[in-house]
Amino acid sequence: MLELVLLLLVVVLAVKAPGFFTADNLLNVLRNVSIQGVIALGMTLVIVAGEIDLSVGSAVAFAGCLLAWLVQAMAHHLPPPLAVAAGSVLVLLAGALIGAMSGWLRTRFRVPTFIVTLAWFTVLRGAAQLITNGFPITPFPEWFSFLGSGYIPLPQWFNPAHWADSLSLPAWLGGWIHSFFGEQFPGIPFPAVLFLATFGVVQFLMNSTPFGRAVYAVGGNAEAARLSGIRVSRIKIIVMATVAALSAFAGILQASQIQSGSASTAVGWELDVISAVIIGGASLSGGAGRVWGTLVGLVFLGVLVNGMTLLNTNEYWQSVVRGALILAAVTIHFAPRESQRT
Amino acid sequence: MNPPRLQTLALRKEYPGTVALDDVSVSWAGGQVHALLGKNGAGKSTLVKIFAGSVQPTSGQLLVDGREVRLRSPLEALRAGIATVYQELSLIPSLTVAENILLGRLPQARRLGLRRIDWPAAIREAQRLLDEMDAAVDARRQVRDLSVAQQQVVEIAKAFSSRPSVLMLDEPTSALSKHETANLFRLVRQLARQGVAVLYITHRLQELADIADTVTVLRDGKRVGSLPMREADAPTIVQMMFGHVTPRHRPPDLVPGPEPLLEVRGLSRKGKFQDVSFTVRRGEILGIAGMLGSGRTELLRAIFGAEPPDSGEVVVEGRSIRPHDPPSMRALGLALTPENRKEEGLVLSLGTRPNLFLASLDRMARWGVSSNARERHRAQELVAQLAIQTADVDFPVASLSGGNQQKVVIGKWLNTEPRVVLFDEPTRGVDLVAKQQIFEVMWDLTRRGLGCVFVSSELEELVEVCHRILILKDGRIAGEVQPEAITPNDLAVRCMTA
Repeated sequence: MLELVLLLLVVVLAVKAPGFFTADNLLNVLRNVSIQGVIALGMTLVIVAGEIDLSVGSAVAFAGCLLAWLVQAMAHHLPPPLAVAAGSVLVLLAGALIGAMSGWLRTRFRVPTFIVTLAWFTVLRGAAQLITNGFPITPFPEWFSFLGSGYIPLPQWFNPAHWADSLSLPAWLGGWIHSFFGEQFPGIPFPAVLFLATFGVVQFLMNSTPFGRAVYAVGGNAEAARLSGIRVSRIKIIVMATVAALSAFAGILQASQIQSGSASTAVGWELDVISAVIIGGASLSGGAGRVWGTLVGLVFLGVLVNGMTLLNTNEYWQSVVRGALILAAVTIHFAPRESQRT
Repeated sequence: MNPPRLQTLALRKEYPGTVALDDVSVSWAGGQVHALLGKNGAGKSTLVKIFAGSVQPTSGQLLVDGREVRLRSPLEALRAGIATVYQELSLIPSLTVAENILLGRLPQARRLGLRRIDWPAAIREAQRLLDEMDAAVDARRQVRDLSVAQQQVVEIAKAFSSRPSVLMLDEPTSALSKHETANLFRLVRQLARQGVAVLYITHRLQELADIADTVTVLRDGKRVGSLPMREADAPTIVQMMFGHVTPRHRPPDLVPGPEPLLEVRGLSRKGKFQDVSFTVRRGEILGIAGMLGSGRTELLRAIFGAEPPDSGEVVVEGRSIRPHDPPSMRALGLALTPENRKEEGLVLSLGTRPNLFLASLDRMARWGVSSNARERHRAQELVAQLAIQTADVDFPVASLSGGNQQKVVIGKWLNTEPRVVLFDEPTRGVDLVAKQQIFEVMWDLTRRGLGCVFVSSELEELVEVCHRILILKDGRIAGEVQPEAITPNDLAVRCMTA
């Protein structure tokens, strides 16, 4: 269903928006959603399990600042590649630990994750500001930017625009190939590769492991899951740790993209990420939602923003349209279920 | 004789496929307490719902104080003069007693041009009502600080504050101790003396002599009869409730072996059950007969570790594990099909297939990887084995009938290859064919050397299915009977009387 709407949007933009339907631009869309996308994959787990994480934006900022600070601190003792690697591992561990703590507070003291992660939302943003003292830290070597904004170059012969002419194609098709691929094929954005790899892992986890099946059961009916011998607390702690670790991962990518640890980055990301998951068909009450749906929801939002930018839509209008579309998507999504119930 | 305050004339209620009430005509006089009895499915709860305004009869008349009334909602029932106190309390814990009693009609006063609640008047009014009932409850206290018995009293005061013609009490003593019950009875008598017709719904026969003036029995949607209490002894009432039941018996080839499978030793949980011990042998079906509130569900849940017992031990085939929780008990070979299958047995948002593997996720995986194809194949086997009627194993489990849902819960546990299965009311809300199929499954399990514990409030089922029956009363084992040596009616008498 959402796939069809996305297709329709792509067709409309391909006709209306100049420069939309090119390989370069479409890869750009994918690149733009990649960092948030990594978090959205984790958020899918959390929402299917019937929980929520509001702290992911702050966690991105915190992770980036922590990494920058660690790299700066280790710069005198370790060669830069080692400092970045060690810092990244520590940041990922810190993320997982924070998430596990949320899950523990949820299961041990029954504090709703809405509240726990609201606290983290403030705490982590403040911690990021404490680390940086309000100014971005920039200790990263230049090559580090590859993670968040690099491209995997493709050989020129790979570009159909270079050999399409030798195939004696009809003129319109040849012209189209030239306009779609362009003369300079940019290559594959590296963050998109990381995102798609994460997608593969999470997709496998949710659809092909006992853990994934348990997540659906816990979110659908925690008591029935408990009485079936599923360790509900353990599942909840793991999903909260996963989304927080993926947020830390996204924080590393974001730090790489902006080449600094900044406390003011990724503001409002939690809502972007949750929107993508909900548009992708997951239910906030838990038990329903697909990883594939989240991917489609992300791309849908990415295409929408990209299209409106290409059409020179006023930035303020972009916000209004986005919000209205989220509401429309969710209303349409829920309408049939609600009518079934009555 | 007082004039009737509540009367029904040829009251009939049909549901698609069944007749829940079949031309019931009865009249209840004011100033008396009238007991209403019937086993599950007799039409008792339908009649109560009609009086409470939550269900409308298909045909027939309802008269309050001689005037015909039509009750389209609970509010209309209350306005017509029928007040109901349900088994589940409906008070708001964070509010005071006075607020709860006068909810929606708190007295107001105008001060400085503003209408505001007149708290002194509210508390006075509520307290006067409570004092009138001789209830020692302070109207200013928060309801959450009261005992269950006191909350019960507040609930009755709330119902009584509308000055009804008829006061309906649905199982009011199920959560009360002996002493609290005696107090409640005193209060109910007091209310009856003021001219109200009290309709008292219960299954505790031993209480009737203390509280009721008359007793009316329903069976299969019909009124079997009404008697003055002094002419009604327990065997007579049970005879009216159950009629003639021809006991049926399990297949003759089911003989339990000597070795114990499940041993329960001195299990206790405060306020629920005390010092329960029994043994289930190989190939044996042990029945537990007990009324609602006897502790039967709590006992099974405690054995399975859903709510660990305060003390006592559960041993399966000579082994016991700590902690006493569902994953450990599952590993020991225990299985529990819970009483409320929708809330505790199934994940309704999922299909039949994932529900069948809820308890055996790891078992179904190879090298940690689950396979849809393997699961579909196994699910089809289970569906065929249990005769679950569904067009496809991936259809939502919510779309199945009650009997088929129950079979999915059973299938979920069969796939764990259990040693002992605890069945809690497996036949509730299940049609006759599915019921018989569930019995067949239990017998089949015992042929394969498993043990079963079967809890049911349908006593003739226990007599038909089990090798031995324990009687659970007020949380204690009150006796053991052989199904061959007892009729369902005698069993009912033993369960319901002291």
